[in-house]
Amino acid sequence: MSEFHYIGKTHPRPDGPDKATGRALYIHDLVRPGMLHGKIKFSEYAHARIKHIDTSRAEKLPGVRAVITGYNTPQIRIGFIKDNFALKKDKVRQFRDEVAAVAAVDAETAAEAVELIEVEYEELPCVFSVEEALRPDATLIHELDPKERPRKDNIVPVPWKFTAGDVDKARDASAVVVEDYYDTPLILQSCMGTAGCIAEFDLMNNLIIHTKTQIPFLAQNDFNAALADMGLQGRRTRVIVPAVGGSFGTGLDTHAYEYIAILLAYTTGKPVKIVFDRHEEFTALSPRQSTRAHIIQGCDSEGRLTFRQMRMVLDNGAYTSWGATTPSVMMLPVSSLYRVPNIHFETTIVYTNNTYCQAMRGYGNPQAAWAIESNLDQLAQKAGIDPYQFRMTNANVADETTPMGLKITTCGFKDCLESVARELDWGEKRGKGRNRGRGVGMASLFHVGGAARVYRSDGTGVIMKLDDFGHVSITSGAVEMGQGFTSVLTAATAEALGVSPDMVTVIIGDTAICPWDVGTHASRGAFTACNAAILAADKARQKVFELAAEHFIARVSAAMKKRARKEPGFEGPDLDSIGTLSVSDFDLRHNFVFLKDRPDDPLLRVPLEELLREAHYREQGTIIVTEAFYDPCHEMLDPKTCRGNISAAYVFGVQGAEVEVDEETGKVTVLKFAAAHDVGKVLNPQTLKGQLYGAIVQGLGYALCEEYKTDRGRSLNPNFLDYKILAAPDVDFPIHIECIETDDPKGPFGAKGVGEPGLVPTAPAIANAVFDAVGVRIKSLPITPEKVLAALRKRKSGGSNVG
Amino acid sequence: MKKRIQFTVNGHAVAVKAESHQMLLEVLRDTLHLTGTKYGCGEGECGACTVLVDGASVDSCLYPAFEIEGRKVTTIEGLMGARNQLHTLQKSFVENGGIQCGYCTPGMIMSAKALLDETPHPGADEIRRGISGNLCRCTGYVQIIESIAKAAEKEQGNE
Amino acid sequence: MKKYNYHRPQTLKEAFRLMEKYNGLARYIAGGTDIIVRIKKGVASPEALISLRGLEELRGIEVDGAGALTVGSMTLIRELEREPVFTKNLPALSQAAVALANPQVRNVATVGGNLANAAPSADCAPPLLALEAWLTLEGPGGKRDVPISEFFQGPGRTCCAPLEIITRITIPSLPDKTGMAFLKSVRVNQDIALTNAAALLVMEDGMCRKCRLAVGAVAPVPLRLKATESAIEGQKIDKELLGRVGAMVESEISPITDVRASEDYRRVVTGVIVGRAIKQALRKVYPDGQEVLG
Repeated sequence: MSEFHYIGKTHPRPDGPDKATGRALYIHDLVRPGMLHGKIKFSEYAHARIKHIDTSRAEKLPGVRAVITGYNTPQIRIGFIKDNFALKKDKVRQFRDEVAAVAAVDAETAAEAVELIEVEYEELPCVFSVEEALRPDATLIHELDPKERPRKDNIVPVPWKFTAGDVDKARDASAVVVEDYYDTPLILQSCMGTAGCIAEFDLMNNLIIHTKTQIPFLAQNDFNAALADMGLQGRRTRVIVPAVGGSFGTGLDTHAYEYIAILLAYTTGKPVKIVFDRHEEFTALSPRQSTRAHIIQGCDSEGRLTFRQMRMVLDNGAYTSWGATTPSVMMLPVSSLYRVPNIHFETTIVYTNNTYCQAMRGYGNPQAAWAIESNLDQLAQKAGIDPYQFRMTNANVADETTPMGLKITTCGFKDCLESVARELDWGEKRGKGRNRGRGVGMASLFHVGGAARVYRSDGTGVIMKLDDFGHVSITSGAVEMGQGFTSVLTAATAEALGVSPDMVTVIIGDTAICPWDVGTHASRGAFTACNAAILAADKARQKVFELAAEHFIARVSAAMKKRARKEPGFEGPDLDSIGTLSVSDFDLRHNFVFLKDRPDDPLLRVPLEELLREAHYREQGTIIVTEAFYDPCHEMLDPKTCRGNISAAYVFGVQGAEVEVDEETGKVTVLKFAAAHDVGKVLNPQTLKGQLYGAIVQGLGYALCEEYKTDRGRSLNPNFLDYKILAAPDVDFPIHIECIETDDPKGPFGAKGVGEPGLVPTAPAIANAVFDAVGVRIKSLPITPEKVLAALRKRKSGGSNVG
Repeated sequence: MKKRIQFTVNGHAVAVKAESHQMLLEVLRDTLHLTGTKYGCGEGECGACTVLVDGASVDSCLYPAFEIEGRKVTTIEGLMGARNQLHTLQKSFVENGGIQCGYCTPGMIMSAKALLDETPHPGADEIRRGISGNLCRCTGYVQIIESIAKAAEKEQGNE
Repeated sequence: MKKYNYHRPQTLKEAFRLMEKYNGLARYIAGGTDIIVRIKKGVASPEALISLRGLEELRGIEVDGAGALTVGSMTLIRELEREPVFTKNLPALSQAAVALANPQVRNVATVGGNLANAAPSADCAPPLLALEAWLTLEGPGGKRDVPISEFFQGPGRTCCAPLEIITRITIPSLPDKTGMAFLKSVRVNQDIALTNAAALLVMEDGMCRKCRLAVGAVAPVPLRLKATESAIEGQKIDKELLGRVGAMVESEISPITDVRASEDYRRVVTGVIVGRAIKQALRKVYPDGQEVLG
């Protein structure tokens, strides 16, 4: 691997100055001429038949331009399996169901008008737990499936099942077996910038929608389908993504509010903006699913894992998002974290009258890791083996294929384990702090690191355009939502092309301009777009060198003549001796084209911009624009066997913590946190660490305090006063991060994806540390002081909550 | 009820018509088009709307418009110098990774400004407390704290 | 959001007159960090807010000859946090101020407002209860002084007559050998108290001459723990006594379960933090700690 000039070095993010000065435009800041403001009327029941909607009072309110319901607009089916409608007509199935909407001249009037809409409901029996929903006589949330066929139960028709080897046989043969249940709560992504969009139509009835999304091109598909439902077949959608105030999975689906804005814009002929307030963001967006995992793992007497069985039940809520595919990611650690020969995994996803869920950063992996890594410590404990040694014994290595068919190319797993053990002073501290409530714990992760084929194409396109001044525009269909995509693509473009980063501009966020991209998810943004940039840069370099073959000597000679005029006696190199030059003789670095075999001769080089102008401003001139479409070399899962190498590379990581538990109050204090991640190659240390710090703190919130609580389907804490995410004073301990570079052959410059992994093993690492500190095992997240105290008291009174 | 209120924004005297139930945040964003100040929660929990009123950091979402009469308001737009010269804090956030999605950034920087005005050389814990009213979901705060600490160092060097 | 009028009177008299005009449908607003949120959530819908921010007579901090401290009700929480008169003389009150919300809120929220809202969890209440502060209430008919222990009547309810305003808070001077502490139990640093507690001890020859304990968020009002206080007064505070504090506290409180914590947890933890507050207060009197606790 050659030495890099820009890769691996910190470059401030190009979007930084705009964001630091308040100039970046988020959806909240955008205003279109004549724009109206939309507001949605949500259901007042968790499950009820809509008997009548009276919009007359709202319509009469001055300033109101449209009031729409499912009855006066075309039905638009939405959702991953199309079990949802933009506006509900027959019945509501959750509190956040959209029953009507208003467009008015200002937000205040729209809000007032919504209050004037009267809906008459007939209450229906509700189902709020997975157990109730699975009873044979349970009330059906959906009587009909999306194809209007009668349904018999509340099971979402998206089953996942994976089997390898023979779990039952392996269980019988195991020396130690541990079985348990692990629960995770609903989690709000909690983007600081709330969701919103502005929909408008041009005079040809084509839709232009500014919207906060991670999937501009899949959204475009969805909206085109909606246009067809509206009788606008063949009309097209242009999705424009403004600055995104955090996304964390919220932008992986299109949402009812977007379709409602579209309907309102079409009805009124004006741009219509819908932006959620914080209460709506909490109550009308989809949180990360709550899950219950039943897990059994076993090992032999040497501590080698023999089998793993997991049954995961997910509360889907009332409708189905892409979140129903999170088991495909849960399956990754279940099948492939550590070497486990016998695996059984299956999921049941269940409709309830709770708020419907979607994926959040980690895409199911945090829920799976919580069960696997907590249970693994229990297993190690029962086997009498140090959990660190236990993990080392079973750790994956490079060049192995897992039972799921995942081809692990590079693997820094053991390095990560060693790093965290070292940082935590594992040997000295583990098992030795119980008299003062202190303990250490660790947990591992496995995730896709080379994109993920969850859609027919996992590709991404880029267009590279060089202008007369040597500036480079690289256009990509990906989304910058804070992760540092533009900074990394800038460095990758500069590196691959041979220009300095300040010459590069990244253009993103408009489906009419940018080439197709499946979406910014699965930690794939940098991996795919940088690979595409390398391909496009190769093409551009080829063209630059073609120009050089034609013009290089002439330009050098002109420059020398000019110099000779200024400096009498100046003598340059003998150009005639160089002979004919071909494309392969050139290189391009730091904005100069030079001869490969004479890289250090300051006279034998031509500024890139000069070559470009020379080629442009002449008869039959030319400019350089190249494109590339990179689709990673991986496979779609076989739907029957759930086997297939779905990513081009995989990442490992280990996190650990030293904690102190206040045995009188149950409060867990983190004293130190250590993380080691196999990142392939560090592209930009600053943005990479930013991703990891941020993910770790999100993971600590998941571990310690975040829980979106509901009572009979209604939210109990829909605000930051009651739903607590961590603030700066809560992060008052050192976080040590080590990046293990394994230089993946498929990765751009060796890099693998890193957007999600940072929060995957955090919660079980804390739970394991709490166990080491005080000997109680918490099996449901979050690990609140209340749960810890209850467990401690139970143990004192002779209870069995001791792992 | 409506009233004409006069106050100073970023050094400029302004007069606006405001409604009695409006908050400073709406006056800044909707009336004066100073959209650098963000709406985050409307309840004083997240700090995205932080501005300085007579030098003190406040949540503009809870600051009644009628109370701004005669006061001096500084927003994120007011920190920049002439010719796009970024304030030391803004520069430090850009250079030290204090920014990701950027939505909390203006409020965060305004809180940092209030902190440094009062405590020019804060320790890490003082910085944490100084920004305790500003939530960030992206960064985990680590590089924000570094950005503020380094800005303080730089200011010290400039003294 | 409901619309309302907003008035900025310059004198108390004008404030009373405005309040009277709205016939019970207006509310006073101090810093507004509570009332505005309540209006936005639709749980309060006054026709008008009458701002006390323009009332100079509600500001100012004075110490009288006997050492009693009188604080204007519009004193900012930020001032309690920072002004040496509080940080030096009443550090526990300053700690309560620091624990209240965040800098932006503390820059506008006032001590009077924190008390007048009568939230059971008000952070200023336990220290002021322990300090046996007096509140001066003023209405069109004149002034009256009430002990803070009689001020709170229930969640959001006080002994204020409809037009009355807290104008001043008076904190009696503290004798020598007084120690005080404030503790707060929270889910994360910036949170409403799950429970909060203040302890004030006056010691004499190793014995507790006076004990004042107050807790918040565990009853309909911020509460003095009178039974526990009398069990401690006149005693040497030793491990045995401290060991009994938790149970005594638990029997004096009546917490509820809400989204932040359960009744049971609040009960147990209140006992714990009251015990810790007593220990901390004791350590203020005896920094080396040897005279007590053995």
